[in-house]
Amino acid sequence: MRRLEGWFGLAAAIFLVVGLYMALVSSPPDYYQGETVRIMYIHVPFAQTSLLAYLVLFLGSLWYLWKKDPVVDNLSHAAAGVGVFFTVGELLTGSIWGKPAWNTWWTWDARLTSAFVLLLILVAYLMLRMFMDDQEKEARYAAILAIIGFVDLPIVYFSVEWWRTLHQPLSVSQRGLAISQELLIPLIIMSVGFYLLFTYMIMIRTRMLYLEHLLEAKKGRLLSQAHL
Amino acid sequence: MIFFKVIRWIVWKDLLSELRSRENISSMFFFALIIILIFSLSLSMDQQMAREMIPGILWIAFSFTGIIGLGKSFLVETQNDCMENLLMAPIPKGAVYLGKLLGNFLFMLVVEIIIFPLFVIFFNLDIFGQIPMIMLICFLGTLGLSAMGTLLSAMTVQIKAREVMFPLMLLPLVVPVIIGAVEATAGALNGDPLKLYQQWLQLLAVFDLVFLIVSYWLFEFILED
Amino acid sequence: MKAIQCISISKAYRHYEVLKEISLEILSGECYALFGPNGAGKTTLLRILATVHRPTAGQFIMAGYDGVRDKIRVREAIFLIAHGSYLYDDLNAVENIRFALGLRGKNPSDRDIKLALDRVGIGAFSELKARYFSAGMKKRLSIAKSILIRPGILLMDEPYASLDEKGQQMVNNYLRELTESGSTIFMTTHDRARTSEVTHRVGVLTQGSLREIPAQHLKESHDIF
Repeated sequence: MRRLEGWFGLAAAIFLVVGLYMALVSSPPDYYQGETVRIMYIHVPFAQTSLLAYLVLFLGSLWYLWKKDPVVDNLSHAAAGVGVFFTVGELLTGSIWGKPAWNTWWTWDARLTSAFVLLLILVAYLMLRMFMDDQEKEARYAAILAIIGFVDLPIVYFSVEWWRTLHQPLSVSQRGLAISQELLIPLIIMSVGFYLLFTYMIMIRTRMLYLEHLLEAKKGRLLSQAHL
Repeated sequence: MIFFKVIRWIVWKDLLSELRSRENISSMFFFALIIILIFSLSLSMDQQMAREMIPGILWIAFSFTGIIGLGKSFLVETQNDCMENLLMAPIPKGAVYLGKLLGNFLFMLVVEIIIFPLFVIFFNLDIFGQIPMIMLICFLGTLGLSAMGTLLSAMTVQIKAREVMFPLMLLPLVVPVIIGAVEATAGALNGDPLKLYQQWLQLLAVFDLVFLIVSYWLFEFILED
Repeated sequence: MKAIQCISISKAYRHYEVLKEISLEILSGECYALFGPNGAGKTTLLRILATVHRPTAGQFIMAGYDGVRDKIRVREAIFLIAHGSYLYDDLNAVENIRFALGLRGKNPSDRDIKLALDRVGIGAFSELKARYFSAGMKKRLSIAKSILIRPGILLMDEPYASLDEKGQQMVNNYLRELTESGSTIFMTTHDRARTSEVTHRVGVLTQGSLREIPAQHLKESHDIF
């Protein structure tokens, strides 16, 4: 398993290095936004991977409620933690992109706001797991929260989108960027690199959680033996 | 239909307990009052700005009222192992969810019915033609908050950090309710024609429907053994 | 007719095995008493039979229904009297009984409730709020619930705990009446003298393993485990 991890890490590194070179050096600047469009090459993959993490968390949670498999629970837990990393990345790069492009550090557009809500849900998920003692209940309740959050996120997205078109009709949507062929290829390479990085991080994190649980169980066994 | 009888019994029990102790409703009521007071003092505004902020302040007050009331809804069940009793009852768990939900919903409505007229008085609102619409908005918005809040309350009631975790979990999830309720209230108070703001009512209705169903289904997993 | 059947029930928590392949058969109309040192797993077994906990392995059948797959039917047939009183502090004795029975779809008359409360000796306290009940009074109230429910299988965790002498005799009278009418009783207990007056069978649980001993051993002077 560890060797497989290594391959993913290596593949991720390769794709990211190539992608970054293309993104930062060889691809052309945008007609309107100039050099700042290069942030898109990291922002969009961050956004996609954060949603991928959320999807894994959702599917893992459904599976856990159905089959009660603790390995799947670890995977979900890992996905949430890794998801925080990519969501924060999405928000930071989104903000950095926004400043030179529209002269504002933050805009309450549907994408960024949903990402912020997603971050809050993931943080709530992690805190819930931290504060609960009973392992089995913790896994169940966390799964419930993840499922509710996943169903809610599209509704949040649309409600903010409607609200925005009502109150801020003049803002330029980031999705309005016309993606030409030249911009597409480095974007795809970066996205694949991010997906590989995601897989690598999840594998490591899942293994970490498994080892943590093992340690807890061993500690418990030693303590209960000392008792009797 | 033992299912509906059980719901009735749970609502009866919660209403009776609350009538005797009055502890939840009074804290909900005073909290809402304090929020209105603080907002009107800290936001010094002219008549025009006030009109625009009122729906927001109203629903902030209602949301925080909900946090207090909904957060405590399962607290009574943690005493004397009552939660276990509910688990062992020969009924689908969804009946417990609906019973608790109905009780929570009614409590919030009671507080809102008292708070809203005070709002009208403090902020000098002219709402005569709009009362049925305002009632509909309160109904839909409160239902959304209660549906979500009842489920989350059952999850957080046994955690030590319940008072922090419950609002942290609830508020991001009910963003659509807040947006929908505030926009619809603004439209109604403005006297706008229904066509202009009916999408918000639809949003609230969809949210309520989706989360009633999802929470009902997921509640099964909270009271499991 | 087999009322309770355990087939190789095991229960393991993360660190150790509490119950090791327990097999047991109890017929209708029998009273079975489980003894054992503290921490042996008696309460765990009881709670598994009450469908509160799930066994890690094995199967159990209560009143003909599978304890894991047919939980609702099992719960209709059983009643648990354990350490938790399942009482709501703001409700009085009568109201608490009404709620407990309402959860099972039963609606006893005022007269029946009064008779049950009198029979267990707390008829004078019917209007008293449950928060003022002593431990013994709470136990008697649970017995009153059982009288009204008339369960096919009664599960009890230390039936004589908290009760004075009269109370313990009252319990034994009730248990005898129950078994004579065909119901089954499974109890965990430490009281040899009282239990010997009503029980038909005796089991001893030590370190997760069960063995049965003749009931008259309870009356003899030697240790049973």
